[in-house]
Amino acid sequence: MVFSSIPFLYYFLPCTLLLYFAAPRRLKNAVLLLTSVVFYAWGEPKFVIVMLLTILQGYVFGILTEKSGGRRAKMYLAVSAVISLGLLGYCKYADFFIRNFNAATGLSIPLLKVTLPIGISFYTFQILSYVADVCRGNVRAQRSFIDLAAYVAMFPQLIAGPIVRYSDIAGQLSDREHSFAGSALGVRRFVVGMGKKVLIANTLGELANICRDSGDKSVLLFWLYGVACTLQIYFDFSGYSDMAIGLGKIFGFDFPENFNYPYISKSITEFWRRWHMSLGSWFRDYVYIPLGGNRVKKPRWLCNLLIVWFLTGFWHGAEWNFIVWGLFFGVLLIVEKLALAKVLDRTGILKYIYVMLAVTLSFVVFDAASISEAWFYIKAMFGGGGFPAVSREALYYLRSFGPLLITAVIGATPLVSLGIRKLREKGKAAGVLNCLEPAALLLLMLVITGYIVDGSFNPFLYFRF
Amino acid sequence: MTEEVKNKVVVLSAVVFLLGFFLWCLLKPAGAVSESERRALAARPDITVSGLMSGKFTRDFESYAMDQFPLRDGFRTLKALMSRYLLGQKDVGGIYEAGGYVSKLEYPLDTDSLDNAAVRFRNIYDKYLDGQDVKVYLSIIPDKNMFLAGQNGYPAMDYGELATYLQKKADYMGYIDIYDCLELADYYKTDTHWRQEKITDVAERLAAGMGVTLSGQYTVRLLEHPFYGVYRGQAALPLPAEEIYYLDSTVLDSCRVFDYETNGEISVYDMEKAVGRDPYEMFLAGPRSLLKIENDAADTDRRLIVFRDSFGSSIAPLLVEGYREITLIDIRYLSSQLLGNYVEFDNCDVLFLYSTLVLNNSETLK
Repeated sequence: MVFSSIPFLYYFLPCTLLLYFAAPRRLKNAVLLLTSVVFYAWGEPKFVIVMLLTILQGYVFGILTEKSGGRRAKMYLAVSAVISLGLLGYCKYADFFIRNFNAATGLSIPLLKVTLPIGISFYTFQILSYVADVCRGNVRAQRSFIDLAAYVAMFPQLIAGPIVRYSDIAGQLSDREHSFAGSALGVRRFVVGMGKKVLIANTLGELANICRDSGDKSVLLFWLYGVACTLQIYFDFSGYSDMAIGLGKIFGFDFPENFNYPYISKSITEFWRRWHMSLGSWFRDYVYIPLGGNRVKKPRWLCNLLIVWFLTGFWHGAEWNFIVWGLFFGVLLIVEKLALAKVLDRTGILKYIYVMLAVTLSFVVFDAASISEAWFYIKAMFGGGGFPAVSREALYYLRSFGPLLITAVIGATPLVSLGIRKLREKGKAAGVLNCLEPAALLLLMLVITGYIVDGSFNPFLYFRF
Repeated sequence: MTEEVKNKVVVLSAVVFLLGFFLWCLLKPAGAVSESERRALAARPDITVSGLMSGKFTRDFESYAMDQFPLRDGFRTLKALMSRYLLGQKDVGGIYEAGGYVSKLEYPLDTDSLDNAAVRFRNIYDKYLDGQDVKVYLSIIPDKNMFLAGQNGYPAMDYGELATYLQKKADYMGYIDIYDCLELADYYKTDTHWRQEKITDVAERLAAGMGVTLSGQYTVRLLEHPFYGVYRGQAALPLPAEEIYYLDSTVLDSCRVFDYETNGEISVYDMEKAVGRDPYEMFLAGPRSLLKIENDAADTDRRLIVFRDSFGSSIAPLLVEGYREITLIDIRYLSSQLLGNYVEFDNCDVLFLYSTLVLNNSETLK
C-alpha cells in the first residue's frame, strides 16, 4: 500500500488511528505491529511470512549475541548477517548474477524470477544494524518480540525508510509521549510530504515520461528530461520520508531526518551528507568504519571508499546502471577528497553548477533501464545523438511545465522554510500564520485528494528498493 | 491564535477530515457509471482467498476506492483547475482548452503510422478493388487541432505534409481535398467530431469529387438534450453544455439502414443513443463495423463503399441522396480480410475517408 492512495488515506489510516489511540498504552505496539502487517500484506500477502521470519531470526540472534558475548557473539552476528543478506541476495540479486554469469560463459542457466518483497532492502538493514548494535554493546537486546517486530515492521518507515536504527527509538518503543504538539507537527509534515509527492513529483514524472516518449526529441528536451528526473526523484523520495517522519511523530516516534536540502550542496561530499542521510550513515557505521575507514593507508582507504559506493549503488538495484551510479559518486568523492575540495571552495557559483550537473547526470543514469540507455541519454544531452538543439515540443513543454519547475527548484531550497521562520519571529505574523496553517493544510489535503482521485500518474520510485 | 490552540485545531481538523471521508466512503452508495468520463465505475470487489493471495482484491479495491470516492467529479475539477491555473500547465494529460474549445494534443506527425495506414489501404485495394470496375478516392478529415493548436501556442502537426505524404503512398486513389471547406466552428467545442449541420459543403465537395451532385436540402433539427463531448469529461473543467443539430430530409426518412452486426435494421438517427452516454452516437448508432444504407428513392443505381471512422457516421447520411446504396466499413472493428464475405466490390465508387486522428494513430486499423 502506498501512502498516496485512497485505500491508505481514507480507509487504513483512520482505522489505524482509531485502534491505536483507543488501545491502552501496553497494547499500542501490538496495534502498530498488527496494522503494519495488514499494511504490508495489502500489497504482498505472501511475503509477510518472509518478513516475520527475518524479524524472528534477528530477535533470536539479538538475544543469543547479548547472552554469549565475545567470539561467540560475533559468530551469532555473522550467522544472522548471512541469513539476512542471503535472503536479500536471493530475492534481489540472484537473477543479476545468473544473467551476468550466462553472458560471460555463454551458458543459459534459467533465471529464478523471484518477486522482490517490498521494503526488503530497508528492513534487512534495520535487522542487521540491530544485531550488530547488540553485539557491540550499544543497545540491549529487545526481549519482547512484539516490540522488536513493531520497530522493524512499523508501516510509516517499512517500505521506503528512513532507515531507522533500533538505537534511535529503543527508548520510545517502551515509553513515548503522545501530545497535540507532536501530532500537529506530524500532521503538517505528513501533508506537506504528500503534497511534495503527489503534486510535484508525480507531475514532474509525467514530464519525464513525455520527454522520454517524445517523437520530437531535441537536445533541449533531453535536458528537460534530466532536470525533471532530478527534481522528481528528490520530491518523490524526500516527500515519502516526510510522510514517514510525520506519521512517526503522530505515533510518538522521532525518526531520523533523511534529507536536508541536498540540491544546495557545494560539493558531492556535502550532497551525500544531505541526501538519503539514513542510508549514508548506515554504510558509514556498518561498512566503511569496520573496513578501517580513513585510518588506513591511502590505497586501502580509497579501496574502502569504492567498496562503500559500489555497495551503495548495488543496494539501489540489481542492475549495472545502479553500480555505475554508485561508483560515479565514489570517484567524485575521491577526487574531491584528494584535490578538488580546496579548489571548489574558491569557485563561487561554479561549485553549485558542478554539483547539480553531476547530480543530474547521475540521476539520468539512475533512471535509465540499462547502461546503453543511460549512455544514449547522456550523449544526446551533449548533442551527440544527431538531434536538433531545440524542437517545438521541447519549447512547448518548457513553457507548460515552467511554473512547476520554478516552484520545484525553489521548493528544493530552504527559502520557503526560512521565510516562514522569519515571519514567525514577528509577533503578529506568527498569530496570522497559526490561523492560516490549519486551513492551508486542509486545502492542501483536498487538492491532493483531487490528484489521487483522478488516478493520475502515481509511481513510487523507491518502492522497488 | 496561540501555538497551543493551533496544534489542537490542526489535529482535530485532520481527525474530522479523515474520519469524515472514511465514513462517507463507507456509507455512500456505489455508482454504476461516470457520466462525465463515459465509463463504468469499478464495483466493490468480492473478498476471496485467491483474490487476497494473488493481490487481485487489493488492485480491484484501489480502483473501486478511487472510482467511488465521494464528490469524485468535484475533486477532478479541483485538480484540473489547480493544474491549469496554479501550476500553469498548458495541458493536462494532453487535453487543453483554448477559446472555449477543448482538444487533445496530436503531435508530432507519425510517419510510421501513416505508412501502416497506407499498407492497410493498399492491401484492401489489392485484395478487392484492383481490376474491378471501381473508382477509388481518398479524403482526409483534419482534426480540429489544425485550426486550434498552432494558433494558440500548442504544437501542431503539419497537416499539409500529412496529406501529401499519404497521397504519395496511395497514388492509385483520386484525392479529394476538403481542408479548405472546414474551419474551427465546424467542430464541437468539447468533442473530437465535426458538426453535421456545418459540413454540407464538405459532403458536396466529396460528392462532386466522385461525380455526384447533391441538392443539400435539409431541415435542421435541434436535439433536445445537452451534449457534453468526450473532452469535457477528460478535461474535468466546468464547461457549458453544447447543442447537437442534425439534418433531416424526406430522402433520409425513407432510407433503410442494415446493421450486419445485429442482422437487423437501425435508424439513420438513433434517438435512444441521442440521450445516452455519448449523444454523437445518434448518427448511425455510433461505432458499427458494417452498415448498408439503402435509398430506394434514388434516381440512380450508383453504389458507394466508404471506408471510414466515426467522422463518417455524421457525413454519410448527407451523401445518401446521390446513391442507391452506401456501404460503410469500419476496419477498426472488422478485419479487412473478412470483407469479401459481406461486400461486393464491383461497379461502385470507393471512398477512403479518414480523420487525421485515426491516420496518425493507425494501429487500430485491422
